[in-house]
Amino acid sequence: MDEKNNKECFIFSKINRKLTLLFIIVGFVAPALAIYYFYYIAINSFTFAISQEQATLLGTIVIGMIVLIAIDTGFIGFLISKNISKPIKELCNATKELEKGNYDFRLDIKSYDEIGELSKSFNKTTSTLAKIEEQRLEIDRAKTEFLSITSHELRSPMTPMKAQLQMLKREYFGKLSKDQKKSLEIIIRNADRLDNIIADFLEISRIEAARLKFNFQETDIKHIIEETIEFMNGFAREKNIKLVTQIEKLPKIEVDSGRLSQVLRNLINNAIKFSEENSKIEIFAKTEKNYIFFSVKDYGCGLTSENQLRIFEPFYQVQNASRRKHGGTGLGLAICRGIVEAQNGKIWVESKSGKGSKFNFTIPLEPVRDIKPIKVLFSNRGKIERKIKEEFNIALGPLGENEFNELKNKNAIDKEDLEEYINFLIEKFIIPYDRGKDFKNRISKIFGFEKDLINMKQDYFSEDLGREGLN
Amino acid sequence: MTKKILVVDDEEDIRKSVSQILELNGYRVLTANDGDDCLLKVQEFKPDLILLDIMMPGMSVVELVERLKDIKIAFMSVVRISDARRRGLCTQDNIVDFFQKPFNVTDLIDRVELILKGYE
Repeated sequence: MDEKNNKECFIFSKINRKLTLLFIIVGFVAPALAIYYFYYIAINSFTFAISQEQATLLGTIVIGMIVLIAIDTGFIGFLISKNISKPIKELCNATKELEKGNYDFRLDIKSYDEIGELSKSFNKTTSTLAKIEEQRLEIDRAKTEFLSITSHELRSPMTPMKAQLQMLKREYFGKLSKDQKKSLEIIIRNADRLDNIIADFLEISRIEAARLKFNFQETDIKHIIEETIEFMNGFAREKNIKLVTQIEKLPKIEVDSGRLSQVLRNLINNAIKFSEENSKIEIFAKTEKNYIFFSVKDYGCGLTSENQLRIFEPFYQVQNASRRKHGGTGLGLAICRGIVEAQNGKIWVESKSGKGSKFNFTIPLEPVRDIKPIKVLFSNRGKIERKIKEEFNIALGPLGENEFNELKNKNAIDKEDLEEYINFLIEKFIIPYDRGKDFKNRISKIFGFEKDLINMKQDYFSEDLGREGLN
Repeated sequence: MTKKILVVDDEEDIRKSVSQILELNGYRVLTANDGDDCLLKVQEFKPDLILLDIMMPGMSVVELVERLKDIKIAFMSVVRISDARRRGLCTQDNIVDFFQKPFNVTDLIDRVELILKGYE
């Protein structure tokens, strides 16, 4: 669409067309009126009658003059409007470049009028934006660096601390009373937990700085899955949970078995945490097009839509009465996302509250060796909120912002809450039915789009959803 | 004969803790706080094993390891073994193990014992 427009605009931009047309009309009507009156007065002021031939000649000349003047003004109009529209077009293109993130773009319009001034201030704005962008990148780097250094610095004191604690526990320094032992256990458990958090922090800092290392080796994926499951079986047995696998024929691919196992362990570990006793967890794997698709499915408490959106955020923990007992660092899934996305894979969740969750991820058959930094510390929640706010402004006009903020303060901007809110608007005839429906569609599209953002492969598996879905 | 171990780390608490663990398990332990100190003590102490921290101020570990080619060295580090490899460490034959900090006391003793047994 845009391209087509651009081609059309090559000779006649919209402004150009409009102005030229205006000039032609003016150039046609004004002289026509003037000349007609002139002709009329002239004819009537003649004391003698003119012959038919003379009258025709005079008429032809008059019409000819009108047409010539119209063409002339049209042409002048075209030139003038071209003069105006060309720099505007350049400005328009420059804005598009800016939107793409090209901050080196400079306009070169040399006219001493408002348009010239506009182009000058555009250039200034661009260079200011470039500076801000540069600062932003710098802050980003500093953040990653800071995270990495702090994690290392935090880890150093853990070493002697844990060593001393373990020596105490092993009674190197004399026998301990029962109470002392109990107290020591608590200290050790929490020191371990702190250490796990720091270790996870380090991992996050690696992901953010693209320093995550992958050690690719041709491996039998089935073997990795089986090994991981055997390892996790130890934990599953505590709750008498069965780990069931359904692995289709998989090709041998180059993969970092440690990383893959890390992701699987994390997902299975989560599934165990949120499963009831005596239930089962299913692990699927199959080849699709140019990737392998994995999923870990549990029949636990499931996730609300709000939780599904935010589950991959760091430190986001499902609001749940039993969350404390689940422990964990709150970084596991963020790390999983980092690992999977570093390999150009996708990770997403399908879930129904009360009916269990299915975590899916893909890894490409070809390993990605050029690792790119991935922002796992910040979620795209902010982006979603901005989009919702925009829709509010469109649907409710100037009231939109207020209403949105009010809902946000009530922490009610997940999908279900918003739908309820819009239904309310429709019921009370605050907005017409059609517009309300449209509003609702757009909102659910935002949430759907978010899914697409993390889960681009969604379409491929919609079939599976029907078959293996949660119902 | 009791085996001799030299613990090199710039952090006093780590030096103390590690030597405590090893001494209680019947090793003779000496500590050094940087590369130069380490080279000095190697000459008079003649350890069977050096437990060496990868990140220390002063002389770089790469340089230090270059000069210690006939004594077994085990690294201790907060960074991972893959990071250490990337820095070009872990290439020499006399580098026998890598202890990820913070280490498990039992694990440390077991592995040290294994290393020194293999030495006989």
